[in-house]
Amino acid sequence: MMIETLLAVTFVGAFATFLAPDRVAGKLAFLISLVPVALSLVMFGAFDGSGNALLEGTLAFESRAEWITVGEYTISWFVGLDGISLPLVVLTTILTTLAIVSSWTPIDERESQFYGLMLFIEANLIGVFVALDFFLWFIFWEAVLIPMYLLIGVWGGPRRKYAAIKFFVYTNVASLVMFGAFIALVFGLGDAVGSFALPEIADATLDGGPDGLFGLDGASLLSVVFVAMFLGFAVKVPIVPFHTWLPDAHVEAPTPASVLLAGVLLKMGTYALLRFNFTMFPSEVLAQFAIPIAAIAVISVIYGAMLALAQTDLKRIVAYSSVSSMGYVILGLIAYTQFGVGGATFQMVSHGLISGLMFMAVGVVYNATHTRMVTDISGLADRMPIAVGILIAGAFGYMGLPLMSGFAAEYFIFFGAFGSPSLPYAPLFTALAMFGIVVVAGYLLFALQRTVFGPYRLETDYEVGRAPIHDVAPMFVLLGLIVALGVAPELIFEMIRDAVTPVIENGGEL
Amino acid sequence: MTVPIEYYVLLSMAVFCIGLFGVLTRRNALMFLMSVELMLNAANINLIAFAFYHGNVTGQVFALFTMALAAAEVAVGLGIILVLYRNFRDVDVTVPSAMRW
Amino acid sequence: MESAFEFAPAIALFPLAAFVIALLFGRQLPKRGALVGIVATGASLVFSLWAALAVATVGSHREPLFEWAVGEPTSETGVEGIEFTFGILLDPLSTLMLVIVSLIALLVHVFSLGYMNAEGETGLPRYYAELGLFTFSMLAFVFADNLLMAFIFFELVGLCSYLLIGFWFRTESAPSAAKKAFLVTRFGDYFFLLGVVAIAATFGTLGFAGEGSFVEAAGEAIDAGESLFGVDPELWVTITGLLVLGGVIGKSAQFPLHTWLPDAMEGPTTVSALIHAATMVAAGVYLVARMFGYYALSPTALAVIAFVGAFTALFAATMGVVKDDIKQVLAYSTISQYGYMMLGLGVGGYVAGVFHLMNHAFFKALLFLGAGSVIVLAHHKQDMWEMGGLKSKAPVTYYTFLAGALALAGIIPFSGFWSKDEILYDALIVGIEQPVFLLAYAMALLAVFFTGFYTFRMVFLTFHGEPRSDAVRDPHPVGLSIKLPLVVLGVLAVVAGVANLAPVAKLTGLEITFLEGWLEGGIGEASYLAYSGAVFEGAEAVYATGVIGTESTTVLVAAGVSLLLAFSGAGAAWRLYGVPEPVRHTESLGGAYRLLRANYYQDEYQVWLASGFTLPLARAADRFDQGVIDGVVNGVSSVSLFGSGRLKRLQTGIVTNYAALLVLGFLALLVALGVHGGWFL
Repeated sequence: MMIETLLAVTFVGAFATFLAPDRVAGKLAFLISLVPVALSLVMFGAFDGSGNALLEGTLAFESRAEWITVGEYTISWFVGLDGISLPLVVLTTILTTLAIVSSWTPIDERESQFYGLMLFIEANLIGVFVALDFFLWFIFWEAVLIPMYLLIGVWGGPRRKYAAIKFFVYTNVASLVMFGAFIALVFGLGDAVGSFALPEIADATLDGGPDGLFGLDGASLLSVVFVAMFLGFAVKVPIVPFHTWLPDAHVEAPTPASVLLAGVLLKMGTYALLRFNFTMFPSEVLAQFAIPIAAIAVISVIYGAMLALAQTDLKRIVAYSSVSSMGYVILGLIAYTQFGVGGATFQMVSHGLISGLMFMAVGVVYNATHTRMVTDISGLADRMPIAVGILIAGAFGYMGLPLMSGFAAEYFIFFGAFGSPSLPYAPLFTALAMFGIVVVAGYLLFALQRTVFGPYRLETDYEVGRAPIHDVAPMFVLLGLIVALGVAPELIFEMIRDAVTPVIENGGEL
Repeated sequence: MTVPIEYYVLLSMAVFCIGLFGVLTRRNALMFLMSVELMLNAANINLIAFAFYHGNVTGQVFALFTMALAAAEVAVGLGIILVLYRNFRDVDVTVPSAMRW
Repeated sequence: MESAFEFAPAIALFPLAAFVIALLFGRQLPKRGALVGIVATGASLVFSLWAALAVATVGSHREPLFEWAVGEPTSETGVEGIEFTFGILLDPLSTLMLVIVSLIALLVHVFSLGYMNAEGETGLPRYYAELGLFTFSMLAFVFADNLLMAFIFFELVGLCSYLLIGFWFRTESAPSAAKKAFLVTRFGDYFFLLGVVAIAATFGTLGFAGEGSFVEAAGEAIDAGESLFGVDPELWVTITGLLVLGGVIGKSAQFPLHTWLPDAMEGPTTVSALIHAATMVAAGVYLVARMFGYYALSPTALAVIAFVGAFTALFAATMGVVKDDIKQVLAYSTISQYGYMMLGLGVGGYVAGVFHLMNHAFFKALLFLGAGSVIVLAHHKQDMWEMGGLKSKAPVTYYTFLAGALALAGIIPFSGFWSKDEILYDALIVGIEQPVFLLAYAMALLAVFFTGFYTFRMVFLTFHGEPRSDAVRDPHPVGLSIKLPLVVLGVLAVVAGVANLAPVAKLTGLEITFLEGWLEGGIGEASYLAYSGAVFEGAEAVYATGVIGTESTTVLVAAGVSLLLAFSGAGAAWRLYGVPEPVRHTESLGGAYRLLRANYYQDEYQVWLASGFTLPLARAADRFDQGVIDGVVNGVSSVSLFGSGRLKRLQTGIVTNYAALLVLGFLALLVALGVHGGWFL
């Protein structure tokens, strides 16, 4: 019942915050959000699952109840956690709390609605990571869009409507493609499945596979479904060339929404890729698409980094570098080795923390200077040393500085990818993707040099001073987590490894 | 001695077509409403005729329903026409065209 | 004595603690954290000496301390599972380096009292915190027992140098230099990381020495002869070795990644001393020495190391000749000297390379701290043309600086002579049998001349002649905290050569090659004995060596030639600049001067690569992204918007039209159904 409690607290908290007066909404939302943090940490401590949730692993905090019967299919309330989803749930709860604290300064209108939506999005995000029935999962998956749409569209920047609609329509159309493909798979499986429970579907797909549908035979149906689902999730991740909604959404979104968008929403895409495409499909299907996917991963890394290099808006820089970082995740997944897939999962958590930190730091800079343009600011270190110190630390985290979580993630991915037995030309792809670590250092150091170093130069009619403590404190928490995971990745890598190993073994030798 | 069913159908068709013609050509709202009534009653004729033909009362019950609905519809329709007249000083249905695009 | 090993991690942890304390409480501490740093590095020095003593008495020690990550992948050679750990490896090489690093760091901390605190700098807590982190990273790098841990701290060393070079962040130039230093070394580290990943994926282990080291595994793989990743094992070892070498070339500022180092002079001079003598730049060469066994497996890799080193030695020395800034001259001399070490290691002269690494640490730290002292004396002027005549006004600085200069120039009997001569000797004897190495030898020999020239040009311009500016006519006094480190290092620069008087030993037969004896110990294959065996002995020897006549003649010829060149370089400098009113002679070089002054246009093409090529490419990519990719996305929405804009005109608002459409629609449906149902047939 832990998961139900977690979800219920968050949903009820969201409504309570909606109804609260604006004056107290921020503090109230913060207090409420501490409960999910505590609960998720308790679950982290009491985690007793093993193996992969979809591949006959032992689930932690499992609960299952029949919900609706549609024809011959049962839809159930089926939730549980394994080593992949638990770190993401903890990431979600912690990041939401920190994002709420970081919104105290910038958000000054419709506060109760804002904080209510933040909690509402948290609840749905948790739902995405815990749900193990396709239908239930899809409800949460789609429900996440609504609060994010409103957060961008109501509290966003000057082009917020364009960005919000682009975000909503683009990802929603992608969901439609994915949904259609998955339903086709379920129908194709015929009598082999009687419910939408993901483990059952995974079992049926891996064991025998679909009979065929609409004149397609089983094997080609699997390929078509794989591609369609990959494309559907690719928009969410996002992978080049489906990434263009991301910079617009990030630039227009208010800082706390950016934190959640980059920190957790993008991870929905990679999480779904891992859960569906890379767990459910037999390795022959993966082998078919190994080279194109690896090529897309490399392109995402290098192209995303090149785009970031050309930007002058700090938020756009971080947004494009997210595209680059997500390329590493794809590379790790397609490497299909323990360290590759495990590293990809680790990168999801790590990137959530680091990009959250970066967006917060950029937000603090923006709060103080009211500009995000690299060309407008200079010598900020003179005025806000602590915030800038954290910005520098975050930037180095992004560059994959050792003893910070980004390095561990990237190292696992590179190591896993280099020796991948299933990916042809694996060393070559690894070497190409790895060049991203040079480009990322290039654009972040350029941006740092221009904005925070050099003589102080910014024309404002007020004094730019140090950031308030409640702006800086969340960043310290994130920095602490980043360093902790960098020094001791086994804190979560142990359970991740346990959960991804069945995925690889299940695929077997290619 | 019964009237063959074809006659009923022909009658109903004729009434319906007159109604349809009225709807498509008349611009006076009152005429429009009357044409709609004609079409409804054409349907009623069919319902009753076939109920009689099949020997059960379902159709007749439906006809009663339709009549009740038609009465309600006329009430609403006349109300709309009154408002229309009040706003436009006219009962021409092509004049109010703001509800578009 | 074994308890020294238990306390060994503390060697690195002391400076880490100093970092934390200075960062958090620096403002409240006396001297803004300097004392904490001095105590910490002093403690590191004591523990390092203790560890060295323990190694001498009970032998080398390797111990994993902390499990970073584990997994069960199968390596290319079939090893199941891999453990990425942090551990310590204390052997003769690492303890020697630990002592050097902690000693230099201690002296730099002491010197900073006079150079930074006394000069009223701001941001001192940050300075001392970063120095602490720097020392910590370097010490941890030195005792790392595996390649991944080495990489991790190698990168942290890079971070610290970024922070310290950019210490004066309010200027335009310092942040730019810091960025350049990090970027250029990052470019090298890219290859290093690729090498780490490749070695881990190939051999399933990253340990430097002892049971299950990758060096051992590589040797076995070459013996087994099965191809690795589709290539011959020896070629694969060469490739991976050269990949790791990329990091070395970046950090040790070897050609073509040397461009960051002269810019790095933007940092405080104390930092330059630390970077050049004992930490960042030394890290690269130390890594080659650390995994020398691996390179010894690949003749190609060794030759590449030798030639990169020899070329860099000459290349940088020529650039040093025309510089006017005292720190710039020293910067190019650093690049050149590390070239010598690379050459020494590349021709199999392991002891010579390490020996020069040690001597260079002493005399280069001395020279930089001496330059720092000069800069204080000259009221923060760095241009040598505005100095002169400091000899009588600052005797301590002068005589210690002179000792360092003599060592750098390689004048007998100062320390630099002994190690440089050994490197040249090793290159010569290899070159006699493999003439291609004579080219490397010749380049290094030529560099000796230039070294002597620029060193004494610097000495004469700075200390001799008449004062050429008001600043040096009335020099700012320097305190004890500046003089003390200079004296300590001055003594070391004079006497450190005693550690390995190889030529004397060869001529007289005395057993006085102490360093060689020291380095012979070690774990498994990681010792000088094993290296020299692998490189020079047996059927698979990499190099054969020859002599000119007898060994004694060769020694004498090699030493004589290099001494002659060093003296002629110094003499030329004396002739040109050892006069009361020296004038610039550099212009008379004409085109060569401009070429040297512009550093062979190395900066230009690298800056062009970054800002003339990559940046426009990025902008083009951005335009492509906004125009084409986002254009398609927006295009789809425009098309649907436009289409619906047309379609919505159906809704005219006229009720009669709706009725007509209704009827038409019904009829169309009827016809369609009719056609489908075959009514019209």
